[in-house]
Amino acid sequence: MRGLLTLAVAVFPVFGQVTYEQLRDPASRPGDWLTYSGNYASYRHSPLRDITAVNASALEIKWIYQARIMEKFQTTPLVADGVMYITTPPNDVAALDAATGVKIWEYRRRIPSKVQTCCGQVNRGLAILGDRLFMATVDAHAVALDRKTGRVLWDVEMADFQLGYSATHAPLVIKDKVLMGVAGGEYGIRGFLDAYDVASGKRAWRFYTVAGPGEAGSESWQGDSWKTGGAPIWITGSYDPELNLTYWGTGNPGPDWNGDVRQGDNLYSASVVALDSDTGRLKWHFQFTPHDVHDWDATQIMMLVDQQVGGRARKTLVTANRNGFYYVLDRATGEFLHASPFVKQTWAKEIDGKTGRPARLPGTLPSAQGTRVYPQVAGGTNWMSPAYNPGTGLFYVAVREGSSLYYQGEALYKPGARYQGGFFNNERVMEDWYGAVRALDPATGALRWEHRLFQPPWAGVLSTAGGVVFAGTEDGYFKALDAMSGREVWHLNLGGRVIASPMSFAVKGVQRVAIAAGSSLFVLGLRSASEPR
Amino acid sequence: MSVPRLCWLMLLPSLLAAQSRDRNPHTSPKDVAEGRRMYALFCVFCHGMDGASGRGARLATTFRRHGTSDLDQYRVIANGVPGTEMSGHFLEEEEIWRILAFVRTLERATPHGACATGPGSVGAGRTSFVERGCLGCHSVGAEGSGRLGPDLNGIGAARTREHLRDSLSDPGRSVAPGYRTVLVTVRNGGGEVRGVLLTQDEYTVHLMDGGERIRSFRREELSGIQFPGGSNMPAYAALAGTEMDSLLSYLCSLQGGALR
Repeated sequence: MRGLLTLAVAVFPVFGQVTYEQLRDPASRPGDWLTYSGNYASYRHSPLRDITAVNASALEIKWIYQARIMEKFQTTPLVADGVMYITTPPNDVAALDAATGVKIWEYRRRIPSKVQTCCGQVNRGLAILGDRLFMATVDAHAVALDRKTGRVLWDVEMADFQLGYSATHAPLVIKDKVLMGVAGGEYGIRGFLDAYDVASGKRAWRFYTVAGPGEAGSESWQGDSWKTGGAPIWITGSYDPELNLTYWGTGNPGPDWNGDVRQGDNLYSASVVALDSDTGRLKWHFQFTPHDVHDWDATQIMMLVDQQVGGRARKTLVTANRNGFYYVLDRATGEFLHASPFVKQTWAKEIDGKTGRPARLPGTLPSAQGTRVYPQVAGGTNWMSPAYNPGTGLFYVAVREGSSLYYQGEALYKPGARYQGGFFNNERVMEDWYGAVRALDPATGALRWEHRLFQPPWAGVLSTAGGVVFAGTEDGYFKALDAMSGREVWHLNLGGRVIASPMSFAVKGVQRVAIAAGSSLFVLGLRSASEPR
Repeated sequence: MSVPRLCWLMLLPSLLAAQSRDRNPHTSPKDVAEGRRMYALFCVFCHGMDGASGRGARLATTFRRHGTSDLDQYRVIANGVPGTEMSGHFLEEEEIWRILAFVRTLERATPHGACATGPGSVGAGRTSFVERGCLGCHSVGAEGSGRLGPDLNGIGAARTREHLRDSLSDPGRSVAPGYRTVLVTVRNGGGEVRGVLLTQDEYTVHLMDGGERIRSFRREELSGIQFPGGSNMPAYAALAGTEMDSLLSYLCSLQGGALR
């Protein structure tokens, strides 16, 4: 018997349990990466400091995982106990040895044909708790897998994919619940965020992001337009354990570019909602773009930063919004504190200093002949993650400069078909269409430095305690910047578009950085001679 | 079973019937107009109204990766292309056929009879084309090896006579994609290099110079990168009327050949 036990321990890796307390305090497992954004405050900042602005020139590829995919590869890996967990599109999952990239198991999910997604059958990652992994699928299911084997533990339909519902973001585990929402803002869905019991998959609560009849905010929808009001959830939320509030950005109202059929502010589209994590009850909301008609989802990362604002210590929520403005809110109350543009914008005269409501400029609505407006339809930034370094006190964000022509068209709802009420063309004018990584003062949004990119990026950024900001480019480069100055200290051509956000973990205590590019996942570290012993 | 799912099952027989049809039965001008409306609702997001300005597959071309027949195209719209952003659609049979009827009009950039016949002799135009050295920069299918200008094989199917006349008299007015002029200044007395921009990215610029050499530069090697606009092609505004007519007739006769 003893021999058998010894054998079992020797042959099978021993997994520790990932606990809620560890999700709250990821510093207790500094070599792991346990949530999509690295911590509940969504800093996407690693405490690891092996790689610095001085030695980053010694970065090299340690291993590559080649996925068999044509789709966009957007995953942020999780790492726990020496195993990396990734999703590959549409909804396959692989467990890889974090030191070598060798595949330990793979879960392959059959996806029905005719799944409707606006922009590809993508997935951005997993959530973890105990010995379970959680995933939201493009056919709008919530799934739990055994993290030792990849076996399905439960599989629940969130909504009918044939009506245009899908799900693409990494879920968020809070206590004994896993939270995930639905995409489909281009298909006339009614958006929501769900919480499921991690053990059983039973739904604990649902919060509709489109206020229905009898609910507060329903007066912001004309007639029955709420039924197809959109406001999807497609990027992972944040959580403040002390306030027990979870914060989620919501997407565009539907149809995207024809607001005539949905007069009103269209709550809670293009907003952040603060929900009680136990009940899903709305504590407060803030709408960045009332009655949006430019497809400016507020599905950017909601970052939670405790900082001085106007001479007062505040628990703030900060976010760089797709509409081109950087916002600072009080996250306990939702009080508006500050907004300032972080890219060129031509649609708002100003943001009201008291209410945070934008004063829209005339002549900026979509039209039959096309209306040119900054920022571009993809926004000043988008779902790709920003980062915050508590050491430098800077907020880092990948930004997209440029304009689009916005066209208003017919709005015809047909179940399961696109419901957009227009279209757009990007205005790729030289000198005007470019990207950057920008470092902002998190309290004021003031620009501290800029690292210009040739193309507007779709890659997020990672900050590390070693004083490095990692970023990716459309033409396949992965680069390291000095977190204090933005000066580039290293780059490498990975041979495929970078449309993902980087993360960092450790192998036997030595720092690694991971990024998906093209159809492969790359893990990088310092050349052995440069590695700390 | 959900209502949409039930509807889908009820639609199946008609869809199967549709897939057994070889030719698009809905191609009248009214069908095209309705197809255009459906395209603007369901397709424009990825393909652009012109079938060329979106991020999806270019439709303003006769090239079709998944088959060119009506039935092939019907299947692509109905079922999608696995592994790409093109999903199948929950549309009715007639809607798909009408969308296809409109898409067919995009296949030619100028749908209303590109390069209508005009005065001038094709043979004389061809002689003029060769004698004026056009093949120095252009090719026509297998003929000629010029690389600094576009291959003109099929140009008569893609452009109107008026467009071609404008291109001959004022080549800078509309430069074909991929033939943009770039002028770089090399640091440390490396001088200027002018050519056709091949590609550029975060760190590099690649061009083909006048001698058809591919030149690659790192941005840090360059003190300037300019895009002067216009075309490297000489203007032929002064051509006598009959030669211009013949040259146009020759170009219009280039309807595309066997080369792929």
